[in-house]
Amino acid sequence: MNKITIEVIQPTKTKISGKYDHIIIPGIDGDFGVDWDHTPFITKIRPGILRLYTEKKIEEYAIHDGFVSVENNKVKIVCEIIEDIPEIDLKRATSSKERAEKRLKSTSEDLDFRRAEIALKKALVRISLKEE
Amino acid sequence: MAHIRDIKKRIESIKSTKQITNAMKMVAAAKLRKAQNRILKARPYADYINDMLRAIKIKNTRSLHPLLDDSTEGNKRALIVVTADRGLCGSFNSNIIRTADEYLKKNPKVDLICIGKKGNDYFKKHFGKVLQSYIDLFNEMDFSVSIDVASHILNLLLIENYSKIEVLYNEFKSAIQQNIIVKQLLPIVPSESKEVTTLDFIYEPDEKTIIEELGRKYVNVEIWRIMLESSAAEQGARMTAMDSATDNAAELIEQLTLKYNRVRQAGITKEIIEIASGAEAINN
Repeated sequence: MNKITIEVIQPTKTKISGKYDHIIIPGIDGDFGVDWDHTPFITKIRPGILRLYTEKKIEEYAIHDGFVSVENNKVKIVCEIIEDIPEIDLKRATSSKERAEKRLKSTSEDLDFRRAEIALKKALVRISLKEE
Repeated sequence: MAHIRDIKKRIESIKSTKQITNAMKMVAAAKLRKAQNRILKARPYADYINDMLRAIKIKNTRSLHPLLDDSTEGNKRALIVVTADRGLCGSFNSNIIRTADEYLKKNPKVDLICIGKKGNDYFKKHFGKVLQSYIDLFNEMDFSVSIDVASHILNLLLIENYSKIEVLYNEFKSAIQQNIIVKQLLPIVPSESKEVTTLDFIYEPDEKTIIEELGRKYVNVEIWRIMLESSAAEQGARMTAMDSATDNAAELIEQLTLKYNRVRQAGITKEIIEIASGAEAINN
């Protein structure tokens, strides 16, 4: 089976570099899957779960921002925050979820509102991945 | 003889100076290694963003986003000067300040942004107006620090209508060589790359959003890279400066020890002559 190369690059290191059969990426307009011969494509990433499939197993990561480009069966992701399951701190995620929810209930400035929304999304991604 | 004690004191003080400069050299070498590692690790990220922006810029020559459009010549310009926070690194700071001074003489209308304490101190005193300054960033360097700087610089272009923003910094060449470089930061000029992507990408949600976000990331990573370069260059300069300071101290100690021994011997000879001539006087 043809394999797709993926590289996940952070400003301070290259987090993932390998070959997989199938990849699911949380794009800004919805999750999308990448198989062999995907069309050239650039999009933003929203907070979500990055799934990498091989025949034997699935690797999962919580990813929170960044860009992805697909060309010539190469997937490149640049992002600032990406965590695998052991790296997620459930306690911290839960408390930040509560904090964000509290902030969302009290309607005040627009900017705070948006920030809280993003924080809530990130926390939810972390929690859902950890509890799976 | 009071003289001999003075020399001894001086030797002691130079010895302790030598110890300090030697320790500083070691510390600088360790920090240099760390900074060099970080530069290497930041490179793929920077290259990738550069490549994507280049692909976008090649594709559409008309109607560019303000972040990429370098055709307009406005008169609001800014210069970012990157110096160190500390001294004792040879001519590192004075070289860059001198270059900045010359630049400002040619372009007196440019607004200044200072990263690093040394440049900030100098320009506050001699140039008067510093638009923004960031000090003590190099101690705990972290990517989040550069994000703060970058978002402010982006606002200059996007909100306050600056037409050109340049950076003046020391590029790390090797431990003993630093190059002073003026680089245009905004509007973005993607550098030439080996990988030429001619593919027509599908952009989601749309090109404008992508350019804006990529541009933001580009400035973040460029500031980060420049700060890393500058700190590596600073540590390199400090290492060489401290190395020669240690050598000089050793040389000075050698000279003083020689002098000390001569004076000591002269003293002994003098005492012997005094005793001998005293004994002679008694015998007579």
